[in-house]
Amino acid sequence: MDFITDALVIGLTEHAPLVLAAMGFALLYRLTGLINVAYAETVTLGAYLGMWVNTTFGLNFYLTLLPAGLLAGLVSLATYLAIFRPAKRRNVGPLELIIISFGLSIFLRYGLQFVFGYEVRFFEVPPPDTIRVLGVGVGSFRILAVVSVAVLAVLIYWFIQRSRVGLQIRALASDEELAQVSGIKPLTVTTLIWFIAGVAGGLAGAFYGVGSSVRPWLGWEEFLFILLVVLVGGAKNIRGVIIAGVATGVALAALTLQFGQALYSRLALIIAFMVVLKVRGNPLAEAGKV
Amino acid sequence: MNLDWLSSFLIFGLFFVVMMIGLALLLHLQMGLAGIGNFGIVGFWGIGMYAFGVLWVRADWPFGEPWPFLISLAFGTVAAGLAGLLIGWLIADLDADGIVVGTLGFATVVLILATTEKSLTGGAYGMGGLDFPYDVGTIKGNEASWLAIVIVLVGALLFYVARVHRSPYGRLLISLGANAPLAGSLGKPTFGTKLWLFVVGSAGMGLLGAMYGVMVHFLSPLKIGIEITLAAIVGLVLGGRSRVWGAVVGVLLTVGLFDIVIQLYAPLPASLSAQALPVLREVLFGATLIVVLMFRPLGILGRMRRDKLMRRMHGE
Amino acid sequence: MSDREATATALKPTGSGDGGRPTIRVEGAVKSFDGRVVVDVDELTLGDHPIEGLIGPNGAGKTTLMRMIMHTVKLDRGTITFFPPRASADRGEILSSRPPHEIARLGVVKTNQVIQDFDELTISDSLLLSVAKAPDERLFRIFREDKLFEEYAEPIRWYLDGFGFKDPHGFAMSAGAKKLLDIIRCLLLRPKVLLLDEPAAGLPGEVRDRVIELVKEKASTENISVVIIEHDLNVIWDVCDYVHFMAEGRVILQGVPEWIREHETVVEKYLGSGHVGG
Repeated sequence: MDFITDALVIGLTEHAPLVLAAMGFALLYRLTGLINVAYAETVTLGAYLGMWVNTTFGLNFYLTLLPAGLLAGLVSLATYLAIFRPAKRRNVGPLELIIISFGLSIFLRYGLQFVFGYEVRFFEVPPPDTIRVLGVGVGSFRILAVVSVAVLAVLIYWFIQRSRVGLQIRALASDEELAQVSGIKPLTVTTLIWFIAGVAGGLAGAFYGVGSSVRPWLGWEEFLFILLVVLVGGAKNIRGVIIAGVATGVALAALTLQFGQALYSRLALIIAFMVVLKVRGNPLAEAGKV
Repeated sequence: MNLDWLSSFLIFGLFFVVMMIGLALLLHLQMGLAGIGNFGIVGFWGIGMYAFGVLWVRADWPFGEPWPFLISLAFGTVAAGLAGLLIGWLIADLDADGIVVGTLGFATVVLILATTEKSLTGGAYGMGGLDFPYDVGTIKGNEASWLAIVIVLVGALLFYVARVHRSPYGRLLISLGANAPLAGSLGKPTFGTKLWLFVVGSAGMGLLGAMYGVMVHFLSPLKIGIEITLAAIVGLVLGGRSRVWGAVVGVLLTVGLFDIVIQLYAPLPASLSAQALPVLREVLFGATLIVVLMFRPLGILGRMRRDKLMRRMHGE
Repeated sequence: MSDREATATALKPTGSGDGGRPTIRVEGAVKSFDGRVVVDVDELTLGDHPIEGLIGPNGAGKTTLMRMIMHTVKLDRGTITFFPPRASADRGEILSSRPPHEIARLGVVKTNQVIQDFDELTISDSLLLSVAKAPDERLFRIFREDKLFEEYAEPIRWYLDGFGFKDPHGFAMSAGAKKLLDIIRCLLLRPKVLLLDEPAAGLPGEVRDRVIELVKEKASTENISVVIIEHDLNVIWDVCDYVHFMAEGRVILQGVPEWIREHETVVEKYLGSGHVGG
């Protein structure tokens, strides 16, 4: 019983940022159908921006979240306007778009080192209060992470499923031409999505960063899991992503407790995900015209 | 033979360039022709390197050289090929997204294993003990001869690629990359062809990785990061992903230009070199990928021009 | 003969597998897309006559049925079996469990309604691709091209000259050229069953006539079974020995062209008046 509660609590609190980042990525993926590798850097930038605001202005962690999220959102939006939108207009193919996003990811990941330095950086915050949850000691930052994730999950879910704008987004995602004819402005809706996705990623990054360190590889290290969670869980809707993300977090915690090695748990889950993806197969083939 | 003009740095620089050309040529077959976007290149390279190195160094060989070396080299190649079989089977009928995830996930798994299996691989600290399987007298002599061997190997690969373009197999690969369902409707085994291409390509990457391990004498997870995959992709994309010489041209202009020309001959302050230069390299590579794919997606050498080729082969 | 007897004679299949013709038997085949049943064919035999037509309004499921035969679309239920020429009734090859490329290799081949081509390949490339067999295309056969070209130069040249391709080492540029290339590629495979999906659409009149002539000839001299989907009913009446009429996923009527035309009221209900006459 202890093992289960430990796994649950650690899983939820340590990996809450994964759920958040996955939601942001899922928004983008559902709208564009594109795997944007540079999303990893949105996460990383959230951590760096939060750290920078924290160390430069001496703000406490909670106050850094706002600028971190907003700025990350703006960067994400900028990448859409400067790169992905022009690329789409030039009729760049799906594989090429992924490679472009890969190039952008590299560009940002190494480029930010010129701005923020080559060394690993840290948030300058006092150690968080430890709160006991179900017998497990958890840092208050992590509690906040879980709460933020829960709140944002509800917000994003409501936004997509229930709001008028959300309806427009879903319409745009399924049929752009039809959506345009119905008066939905693709540019406004799309930039909004890229912004929101960026905010989600940036906040996730800030939470990751304060919990460990702020380094150029932060987002990239998590990216594979973000991708897997979204592909496995989020094919249909945001709820699936949240469930898959939470399940992944708990599984990671459980396996780490079992094996004693965080890397092994990652290994096991990567393999598990790939098996699921293979078994599920590729339903796109039938949409072809041959 | 007087090799004074050939510094060790230059030898190694050329070696790395030739290595990347080899990887980019294999990627050309997989991605440029058959349309498989392989993001896991460094994974197969790494398996070859580590399988070869670990067996060679750690095993208790009951007989002398060169057999342990050759057997280990074969082992590394086969191990990479088997990994290619597994991953290829996973991804051969998936779309671009699925292939990216599958190959990227694989490369990550290899990196994790290299780090966790400390008893075998030396973990994060790495593992030494690899050396040339021969000795011509001087270190530089050994290095230069190894470079020559690799040049011959990659040269043979380039010849193979050129022949593929002029053979029915090449046409089959191009048809898969252009319109796989249509090729299937003509009786072409799309899954099987992609799978075996992937296996052979992976084995090739593994062989190159093993030969790299010999040259650097040291295995470490730091050497099997995404930068290798990036270098191969940038080189191929810049040069021209559908052309025989695309890999050569592109890698020379990226890795060649940066690692050799700039680092050897550009007058830069030393403080800059240590940290800024490697970072700048990756930044430029990333930017190159974006710019090329946006403005000249087929690279410097451009379109495949089968019409010219067919006329030359069968023309009247 | 009474009306009913005439109908019965017209509808009676000439038997699968014993007339020596290559046939395709569809049994209980059902396919739904997004909850809507697109194909629901209980029992259908194609190929008892040399050239058969498959007609019906848009959305009747004709192309989907053909794609189910080729297994590029998975069946929700049912079986599709191929009986090679002169095979007995129990020697059928089940198609509905095989991958598309195996079906083509067995001799069942389909052209494309929507134009499909290999953009990077020249016309000659396309044709050489078609005739190449698996042993020619192994990854180590890097000197095979000359032998392949020599072996098939004649039939390729025959098609190129016959259809007026002036620059075989160039690319098929127009939609008509691509459509024609699609058909020639399939013919070069020497199929036993040829499914033509709207072959006339997009082809200039003269070319279309030549294609029809060629198909007629092959069907009679080479024991090939041809099934043509066409909206241009003139082609159907001119060429087909037998016609299947589909609507809303089912086969509604079957019979010789004259008989189908006589029952125009039924047909017109679906196709709109003025079509059957033509």
